[in-house]
Amino acid sequence: MHWGTLFDYICKGLDTSAPLAFAALGGVFSEKSGVVNIALEGGMLFSAFSIVWGSIIFHSLWLGLLFAVVIGMAFAAIHAVVTITYKVNQIISGVALNILAEGIARFLSQNIFGQETQSAMNPYSFPSYRGMNVFSLVVIPVAILSWFVLNKTVFGLRLRSVGENPEAADTLGINVTLMRYSGVLISGAMCGLSAAVLYPSRWVSGMTGGRGFIALAAMIFGRWSPIGAVLASLLFGYADAARISFASSIQIPSQFVQMFPYVLAVVVLAGVVGRSRAPAADGVPYEKGED
Amino acid sequence: MPMNAAAAAPSSGGDPAAGSVLLRMEGITKAFPGVVANDKISLELRAGEVLALVGENGAGKSTLMKILYGLYRPDSGEILVRDRTTRIAGPRDAISQGIGMVHQHFMLIPPFTVLENIVLGSETSRLGVLSYAKPRAAAAKLIELNNLHIDLGASVEHLPVGLQQQVEILKILYRGAEILIFDEPTAVLTPQESDELFKTFRQMRAQGKGIIFISHKLDEVLDIADRITVIRRGKVIRTLDRAEATKPLIAELMVGKPVILNVDNPRLPPGPAVLEVDKLGFVNAEGVAALRDVSFRVRSGEIYGIAGVEGNGQSELIRAIAYRTRISGGSVRLLGADLSGLDVRSRRELGLAHIPEDRHKFGLLLSFSLADNFILGSHYKKPFVSVLRTQVRRQIAENARRLIAQFDVRAPSEQTPAHALSGGNQQKVIIAREMSAKPRLLLANQPTRGVDVGATEFIYKQLVEAKKNGAAVLLVSADLDEVMSLSDRIGVMFKGSIIKEFERESATKEEVGFYMMGEKAR
Repeated sequence: MHWGTLFDYICKGLDTSAPLAFAALGGVFSEKSGVVNIALEGGMLFSAFSIVWGSIIFHSLWLGLLFAVVIGMAFAAIHAVVTITYKVNQIISGVALNILAEGIARFLSQNIFGQETQSAMNPYSFPSYRGMNVFSLVVIPVAILSWFVLNKTVFGLRLRSVGENPEAADTLGINVTLMRYSGVLISGAMCGLSAAVLYPSRWVSGMTGGRGFIALAAMIFGRWSPIGAVLASLLFGYADAARISFASSIQIPSQFVQMFPYVLAVVVLAGVVGRSRAPAADGVPYEKGED
Repeated sequence: MPMNAAAAAPSSGGDPAAGSVLLRMEGITKAFPGVVANDKISLELRAGEVLALVGENGAGKSTLMKILYGLYRPDSGEILVRDRTTRIAGPRDAISQGIGMVHQHFMLIPPFTVLENIVLGSETSRLGVLSYAKPRAAAAKLIELNNLHIDLGASVEHLPVGLQQQVEILKILYRGAEILIFDEPTAVLTPQESDELFKTFRQMRAQGKGIIFISHKLDEVLDIADRITVIRRGKVIRTLDRAEATKPLIAELMVGKPVILNVDNPRLPPGPAVLEVDKLGFVNAEGVAALRDVSFRVRSGEIYGIAGVEGNGQSELIRAIAYRTRISGGSVRLLGADLSGLDVRSRRELGLAHIPEDRHKFGLLLSFSLADNFILGSHYKKPFVSVLRTQVRRQIAENARRLIAQFDVRAPSEQTPAHALSGGNQQKVIIAREMSAKPRLLLANQPTRGVDVGATEFIYKQLVEAKKNGAAVLLVSADLDEVMSLSDRIGVMFKGSIIKEFERESATKEEVGFYMMGEKAR
């Protein structure tokens, strides 16, 4: 292998890892606050539609990105209202939202772009370097910032406390509902950012292809820590890049090659992760004592 | 009448430590659907005193304290802190009024460090970034002032229960609490840890703080309290000064009738060995040897009590006897039969009955009716087994009604779900079920945990009854008084071994306590 090819692979891998990493960071914020958010998949998909739509409306990629972030948060807000305020089972809400995201995006695409399964081309794009969307690099400062916020700030301490023992946090005067809303809304914003690196040029139905779930796997493999989640995303992202880069040169049926990242996710989760521990109140709605 | 009790108290005591009134609760009423938990309750707490709040389970003590801490809102009544009417809408208000509470179930964040737990909710920060320098210094000072022994950097989940409680105390002192509420703080402590806690109480009392202390253990109440307020069925029955209080008097006021606290527990000539545990070893999931070379036998007609600080292998020992467990060595024999490899049903067929430590997790199906709970374990046998439940419904209901009457379970009907009962009555349901199987070996693990005086008396009688019927009884309890008063022989567990056995006559509380701490083993 030439050095050039290797360098291409490194860049390509970052490109495929970045969407996973942003979404996984979103998952960390949501789950650290105690809300399981399997609607990351739907959030990514709907944000991916929104960045194209927003860029075209506002004639600016940056405003399009802002739009995607806001829409990602609005989408997550549905999950927050349903699961935190109304205490609906978090998995069921997530499943419903994943289905809803695909449906709304198709509906809007039909009405706006005249085609149900794909949008128009987005004339604006981030610069690319050796096949890598340079916005991918933004994931590094965002990961460091996430670590800092969760571990060094008052907000982070309180967010983590409601994910571990909301009753205790409540008796100390911490607003459990507010903290959990914050966690879920940040996960929505992260879905918006992931749209910037997924494929901002065009929305295609089903384009996330389960990446939201791979991001959840990365979050678990990364032991619910921002840095761990990003490193795990790199593992999955590079596995995916390997599939893309080398599929044509290996004599294996392409279906098996395409399975590779998913099989890796299953193997990693089943084997290595056994001992990693979720926040104690993750997935458990908080009921106040008085009833 | 509650008003009289509160008004009479200041003149009658003449306690030199009593100071100004810190807190006054007046006419507090709180109703839940179906019950009036607090019925015009009034009480008063002064600076520099320990006020004990006693009453049976469900008498309304916890509700009252939750109102004071802002977790519940009263239907009517007033709370005055330092003679000023206060509205306490939530814990934040309570904290800002100088009220702190150590809850029965600790309110800690296990993976956090001690210091993080202390500052949580009252953090020191600059621009939202946590700063620990000042809190660390302040906490260190409080640790020194109040006879506490904690490493601020340790993570809470690795601390023993006694130290976790100290973290709770630190948390409220750090918030500047003057009024401290303790909801059954000694339920989880060893005698030595309780003594340490009371030293801390005395230090805080000397600093002029007011302490409200809820407990079921009357000896402790008499040991530490300056005044004792007795609550029954949501009402203040009487407030006693320490000088006039005696154990039988408090118990009688609590229950509403005289209570016999000493069980008639004669020593019987021991029969043949029923349970033989020989060099039993067990390695837990973390790879730690939780049991090492445990050997003892329990004979027919005797109660063998295991004393020990929780977490020294008692749970594992019970598990190895009651369930199919992968032991690492030795053997457990019941009436001569080796239990290894036998499932629970086979063990029960051999005559084993089990009152588990955690009645919610292992003793009952909380959402099932009492009738169904009563047949657990014999559900596959006549007369309860059939293809269709309708065929045996009558037998199941009759069985339930008989046990409810015989064991004095207070429940609206046999169809009531188990979760609707108080802790003491839930425990009675389990005991009724296990005793009705006529066991040869009865495992009683923490049988009176969280159970009030009246029910405790009943449970003690049942254990003695089992022994009189020729059963071997293995009692495990964190309450040393309980072990001492019920057991014919006592084994002290420390770090997975029985390090000392006592005959009932030769055991003293101090000596057993020292072995519990592992002092003598060194």
